[in-house]
Amino acid sequence: MTSCLSDDTLERVHADLGSIAERAHLAGCAACTGRSRRLRRDLDLITAVLRDTREPLTRVAPARRRWMPAAIGLSTAALALLVWVEVAVWRAVTPVPPTMQPQEVAAILSDVSASLFSVNGDPVPAAGEEGPLSLEGMAREVDSTLTGDEP
Amino acid sequence: MTAHYGRLRRLCRLMLGDPQEAEDVVQEVFLKAHEAERLGRAPMDWGAWLTRVAVNACRDRRRAGGWMRLRLRSTHIDDLPLVADTQAPSEAAVGEETRRRIWKAFRALPRRQQEVFALRYVEEQPTADVALALGLSPGSVKRHLYRAVRHLRRALGDTR
Repeated sequence: MTSCLSDDTLERVHADLGSIAERAHLAGCAACTGRSRRLRRDLDLITAVLRDTREPLTRVAPARRRWMPAAIGLSTAALALLVWVEVAVWRAVTPVPPTMQPQEVAAILSDVSASLFSVNGDPVPAAGEEGPLSLEGMAREVDSTLTGDEP
Repeated sequence: MTAHYGRLRRLCRLMLGDPQEAEDVVQEVFLKAHEAERLGRAPMDWGAWLTRVAVNACRDRRRAGGWMRLRLRSTHIDDLPLVADTQAPSEAAVGEETRRRIWKAFRALPRRQQEVFALRYVEEQPTADVALALGLSPGSVKRHLYRAVRHLRRALGDTR
């Protein structure tokens, strides 16, 4: 005589997956038949509950509350990453110009000023290179323009 | 055909877990049945046909509307307990804790096992019909059933 069937085997037999020997044992063993009846009662109970009772209310929290912690975490991580890039990476790779001397700054500013106020794209001569035109000079330029002669 | 209404409603409710959605699916299934009849394509066995169409409709609904369902899922008004709520005799006979455990365990089953269990035990259909409705082999139905029963019995635990 074989030993009694385990619960697992009983369930297999009940699902029609048992071997011939297991089914034969079940048919001839009072203890296993009793346990098989209990299995049927369990199934009847489960089936009755699923068929005849209402599913207990499980209030599902709104979806936004489920992903909110993840969203907050991701936002914080993104912010931290941004700050780290700004502080550690961006500043490290950005070349810092050497401190300029006041004379150099003045020269650059005068270049900029000359470019802004240039005539026909030619830079205005710096003060001292060529003095301001006198009235006679201007008259000569006007004459030469009108006559087409070289000044 | 109306004889199948309650059965399909229960089946869809078990498969979807949402009474309103189950109602929608059943309406859809009966529309299809009406259409089939109008076109002269009425099946030999309406019961099996309706079950198969309902199962497929539930699957489609789950696939297509998963995200929407998650977003919009709510407790429907007809599911809310009444102020003077009295338990149905079937509910009174089974303890609240047992009921809760069984439903929880059922919902924890994989979808396929839920379908097999619902059709085989709750709807009391033969294995061959379950296999046909779900597009599985009879052997596969038995294996799903075995796993489902094992899980549900474990969930019952000491409440027996």
